[in-house]
Parts: sequence; structure tokens; C-alpha cells
Amino acid sequence: MHESTQGMIQRAGFLRRAALVAGSAAGASLLLGERPTEPAEAQGAAEKRALNLALLVEFAEAEFYAEAVRRKKLQGELRSFAEQVSAQEDEHVKFLKGALGEGARSKPTFDFGDATASGDAFADRAADLEDLAVAAYAGQAANLSKKTLQAAATLISVEARHAAWIRSIVGRPPANDPTDAPRSADQVMSDLKRLGLRG
Amino acid sequence: MEGFCFRKLDVDGALLEAADRAGAITRGSFLAGALGVSAAAVVGADEAVAQGGKSAKVDQGILNYALTLEYLQAAFYTEAERMKAIKGDVGKAARKLGSVERAHVKAFKDVLGRNAVGRPSFDFQGVTEKPRPFLKTAVAFEDLAVAAYGGQAANLKADSALAAAVSIYSVEARHAAWMRYLFGLNPAAKAFDQPKTAPQITQVVRSTNFIAAPPKTKRKRAPSFTG
Repeated sequence: MHESTQGMIQRAGFLRRAALVAGSAAGASLLLGERPTEPAEAQGAAEKRALNLALLVEFAEAEFYAEAVRRKKLQGELRSFAEQVSAQEDEHVKFLKGALGEGARSKPTFDFGDATASGDAFADRAADLEDLAVAAYAGQAANLSKKTLQAAATLISVEARHAAWIRSIVGRPPANDPTDAPRSADQVMSDLKRLGLRG
Repeated sequence: MEGFCFRKLDVDGALLEAADRAGAITRGSFLAGALGVSAAAVVGADEAVAQGGKSAKVDQGILNYALTLEYLQAAFYTEAERMKAIKGDVGKAARKLGSVERAHVKAFKDVLGRNAVGRPSFDFQGVTEKPRPFLKTAVAFEDLAVAAYGGQAANLKADSALAAAVSIYSVEARHAAWMRYLFGLNPAAKAFDQPKTAPQITQVVRSTNFIAAPPKTKRKRAPSFTG
């Protein structure tokens, strides 16, 4: 894994820890410390990996919602949610492909099983996928250049909106915690396999 | 008082429309104190970046700017909770959001330590007493927070400050979607959220007149000794 990703993951749960060291010099340097400078080339490679991971997650979401819409098993609010979010995830895929150019990974295959066949299963899987997208972007933010991060920030919040939206529809708490914990690239990959990524 | 406030919100079409108008506002001296915080807090958020300020100072400015927006939200939900006028699902959401926004305030204050800006005084002019005006204001505040964090994420220098901001940013977006859902608006109207600069955000907050007074200047205190 890229070093700065690793560093960031180790700092996951920062708020709790930051609170513990609050007031101490360690707290200030933890939060306000300089970002380590790296060679431009290394940063470019890290950014490409980060964006391709994001693209993989967006592929999963786009495929999931497209299948749900195609299967026509959803009614009412859930159906409307699937249709609207499907279009938005398509836009996210297009955005990331554009940012990566020729470096964009190809679309893998997915098997969502029965998760697109009933409202309850759909809502569960959608909430998991949206939470994963939020956590994946948070985990990769430090690997992005300033310009790319500026653009990517406009998607991160939309993934979080989707996560809260689907929970609102099925009457689950849309936002339980004060922070969303980031997840590492390895964690995102294993989550994706559990949620339908095949190869 | 109450009528004035509702009318104002209706005429203005909530804060977000004002935010769009504020796009034309130039950065000026009005920024200092407009949010009711020190000039350094606001300047830090945008101008110190443009001026190539030191990383720690830039981050400190941005975090203080975020802290002020969190003060605003925490005070709003806390007042709604205290008023006990908002019931049911909306009341439950208000209590949850109050506790989360207070946690955000505490987190920023903890990491900023003695560099944290003080809490301004707020006057929410009655919007915490009725469900519809409450929800409308909540939607505006949460969408505003999303636009503010979205506008600053790339300005943060330290990875740890960035990680902190991003993990709060997405929670604000969850809140925005939640409040919009309860209000009957589309929780995610667009595929991309439009970020806003600190001057734009400041202009919107100022236009609400919700900030009644800047924070009291902290008096320098001699360290206290025990024993």
C-alpha cells in the first residue's frame, strides 16, 4: 500500500485520539503537522491508484442500480431512489474515467444475487455500497492532488447523501456517528467482494 | 419578531439562494468580524491560502472557520431541543443532530486548543419553535456546511487535518440529505455538490442575522496553581 495511505489509515479514528491528546503539543503537531512532500511522480501514481479504486466502487454502484432498475422489482420511493441514483452514479463513473483518461481500469463483473430482487434486500445492499463509497473516498483523500481533491470533494458528499437517503426511506437512522471512518484500499477491496464484485 | 424572521426566510428562499447571489461578493474588509469571529479565522480559510501562508496557520484558520459553522449548527439544534416545541421524527432528528454537532464543536476545540475561536451569541429569531421553519433552516444550514467543507478540503495542508475534515464533511452531507427528506425535498438533487468559498459562506450566514454578537474577548488569565 502507498505510504501516505498507510499513514492516514493509522490515523483513522483521529478525532477520538486527537481529543485524547488535546491541549498537548503532540495534539497540535498531529493535527497541524506538515504533509510530507513526495516526488511528483510518486504522487501521480498514488493518485491514479486512488482514482481507480474510486472508479471500482462507482462501477459497483452504477451496475447495482442499473440492474435494480432493469429488474423492475422495486416500488414507490425505492424505485424512484434507484432511478435517480443510478443516473448520478453513471455521472460519477464518467467523471472518474475522464480524470483517469487512458489510465482508467476496465469494468469488472459483478453478481448482486437477490439484492436487486426485493425492496428490503435492495435497501440493505444500497446502504452498504453507499457507506463503502464514503469510506473509500475518505481513505483516499490524502492521495489526491489539490486540484483532483477539489473535484472529488463534490462527489464524496453526494455518496453520503445517498447513504442517508436510502436509510430515510426504510426508516433507519441516516447518520448515527459524528464522523465517517475512512477505509483502506485493502478493506475496500474485501468489502467489494462481499458486496458483489466477481472479477 | 417571529413574523419578520419567517418572512425573511421566505423572501430570501432560504440561505442557499443567498449563497448563489453571494458569488458576486468580493473579498473585502467586511469579512473580518462578519461571521462574528476573529479576522484570522476567516482570512485563514481562503486568503491565507492565496497568500501562501504557513501550513499550520492555514489549517488553523480553516479549522476555526469550520468550528464557527459547527457552533452555529450546535446552538441551533440545542435551542430547538430546549424549546421542546418540535415533536415526532423531526424532534428526534433534532436531538440526534444536536448531539453530533456538539461533538464536532468539541472535536475542533480540542484539536485547536487555545487557538480555538470563541463562540458567538446567536439569535435564531423563533425558527426553533415550529417544525417547518425549523426544518427549512436545518436544510439550509446543512447544505451550507456541505458547501463550506467542500470548498475547503483541498486547502488543508496536513493529512490529519484533511482526514478530520473529510470524515466530518460526509456526516454533514448525511445530515443535509436527512433534513431534506424530512422537509420533502430531494435529498441528493444533483450528482455533484457545488462547493462555496469562505466569503460566500460568510455572506450567507451574515444575511440571516442569526449571529447576534461576536464572541467575548477572552481575558488573559494567570495560570492557576493547586497546592
